[in-house]
Amino acid sequence: MTHSILTSRPALGRRFARLGLVGLAAASLTLAGCSTVGDSTGGSTDAADDGTFTLGFAVGGQPDADWQELQGDVAAGLAEQRGWDFVELSNDNSEATATKNADIFIQKGVDLVMMFNGQPSANPVIAKKYADAGIPVITFDIAQEGWYFVGVDNAAAGTEGGTALGELAKEKWDCQVDLVIEAEGTAAGQINTWRTGNAADAIGEVCPDIPAENYVKYEADGNLTTSLANAPGVFAAHPDAKNILVVGLNDQAVVGALQAATQLGRDGSIMGWGQDGGLITGANVDPNLVGSVMYFLEGYPSFAFEIADEIAAGNPPAVKDTGDDAAVSVKPCPVTQEQAAAIPGIDERVAELADAPAGTTAYDLFCKS
Amino acid sequence: MTTSLITPADPAAPVSPGGRKGRPDSRGATAWRDALSIAGVWLLLIVATTIVRPDFLSSQTLLAVTFTMAISGILAVSQALIVISGGLLDLSLPVSLILSAWATVTALNNGLPTWVAIPIGIVTGAAWGLLNGLIVVFGKLNPIIVTLATGFGGLAIMLIFFKSAQIPSTSELRLYGLGRFLGLPNVFWPMVIVIVLAGLALTFTRWGRHLRAVGGNAQAAKARGIDLRRMRLATFAGAGAVAGLAGVMFSAVNPSFTPASGAGFQLIVIGAVILGGISLSGGKGNLLVLLLSVGFLATIPTSIAFFGLAPAWALVFQGALLIIAVGIDGYRLKRTAR
Repeated sequence: MTHSILTSRPALGRRFARLGLVGLAAASLTLAGCSTVGDSTGGSTDAADDGTFTLGFAVGGQPDADWQELQGDVAAGLAEQRGWDFVELSNDNSEATATKNADIFIQKGVDLVMMFNGQPSANPVIAKKYADAGIPVITFDIAQEGWYFVGVDNAAAGTEGGTALGELAKEKWDCQVDLVIEAEGTAAGQINTWRTGNAADAIGEVCPDIPAENYVKYEADGNLTTSLANAPGVFAAHPDAKNILVVGLNDQAVVGALQAATQLGRDGSIMGWGQDGGLITGANVDPNLVGSVMYFLEGYPSFAFEIADEIAAGNPPAVKDTGDDAAVSVKPCPVTQEQAAAIPGIDERVAELADAPAGTTAYDLFCKS
Repeated sequence: MTTSLITPADPAAPVSPGGRKGRPDSRGATAWRDALSIAGVWLLLIVATTIVRPDFLSSQTLLAVTFTMAISGILAVSQALIVISGGLLDLSLPVSLILSAWATVTALNNGLPTWVAIPIGIVTGAAWGLLNGLIVVFGKLNPIIVTLATGFGGLAIMLIFFKSAQIPSTSELRLYGLGRFLGLPNVFWPMVIVIVLAGLALTFTRWGRHLRAVGGNAQAAKARGIDLRRMRLATFAGAGAVAGLAGVMFSAVNPSFTPASGAGFQLIVIGAVILGGISLSGGKGNLLVLLLSVGFLATIPTSIAFFGLAPAWALVFQGALLIIAVGIDGYRLKRTAR
């Protein structure tokens, strides 16, 4: 198996000093560039066309997402299990690099491409290149016409998270809920509607007597800082609300609201249920974040290989290329704070997944709820 | 970079033994007019919200507004010092904020006591400001371009070295960030102290007069013996230290943050400075008006929540106010030049 990661004197002195400082400024810019533009062409990538199935894998390369790199590790392990050649590139979170990577994969004659591209504006161009070359593509989380879509079932993630939180409200407060806060990330579009909106709807299913006016939305933008800045006004505008539930686009958004409640002394009877599991583990979990929905993003390749195996066997399945009609819909895993504490860390999960029998998914291994 | 717009109230004017300037100064009147304008609009917003929702006037609203003011208020002082000194704008403030917060949290996570971690955060901010100052002063480059570049570079460096940072949940600083003093969030008070101290220093000290002089008319200041380089370096470092304090407070209230977490402060801080009547041409500004400006901008999102409007309206209002403030600043400059 081939696995390559492409990855006057005083005046003169002043002039030199100035040049040095200009150089320093230029270095700052260069560093900025370096952070997102990695080496994607180095190393040997020649996949000899000896009939061995060759998989091209492009990781997202976003700087603050370990799971993207780990997706590559999982895919490499699964390809090795099958005796396939494996070529890994990084999209470096850049449209230009993702497009260049498509050219490289085509040049290397890969039989299948798997990728996460966090800058999808280039996807139509890339899709045309692969279509012309006759190379099938499996995309993670971001749909593109003609590509097999593998992604978490966001609609189910929202519903399951909301249902779990509603059940807790029923158990603890007999559904006497004064306020349901939806910490939205409107820029995420349909994903926000699925995760946040479905969660609120699910709470309403469990506790149908919560009045419609008790549901309040605000913009959290999917990050803790924005959420913490905007949520205090929401609490202040509902001074009489005691039993409060919070759902949102992700853990950061929900925790921002929970922290705002603490700042305003409103954390006596509040429960939040996040999405993505980003802040549900570790030593610093907000005590009011009672649960979250984990996706095990690093384990996506194990789902994608279900399709890859069929393609390699010469029986490609029909292309399903939307979130509504996915080729493989990754099952979300709702967990309470206690259950999340028992789930191994991401590196350990990758190691366990690599050693697991073929066909095993991260959900099978770690979602015990 | 030089700003050589001559104002009628030359800050470098000689000071009489009694401490008064040698010729009449309209700065005080302008500051009062700005203060009354912002206070009036702020009051209007409060009254309008109270008419719609009488429960707006509550301790919860006060907590929400003062909490929102805390970090942006300190950052606004940092930005104001740069603007008054004629440095135009520091676009790397979000990096300064997060870098300082990261340094503070790293120190705490490595077992250093709080009294050591806090100065580390402040010094980190000062060092960042000094770096900007060195490039601007010795490179003779436009501060906006320099700080834009160092802002990108700093963000990139942080992304290399850390993905997210978390303050120890039981640390004294974290507990401070969750506490209150006199019924208001603890983090609100350092902002008040910084504004008062910086405001007094700007008005009553030799340093403050020199700062205004350099920003108002650099050539005149130089002719009167003020060392421009030293003054600008000190300003960038001092403003950086203030941003460092904001970073310390930020780490106290944000249990977890990423390198990009400071981005949301950029627009609000620049808006507060311009709305506060601090002229982008340098040399002029009153930090009491800045405090009113920060308070007014912090009230908008809370009012929006009371009106039940979509949160995006807060940005619409803040953006519109920013345009109005820049327009007023431009009008004043034209009137002054006549």
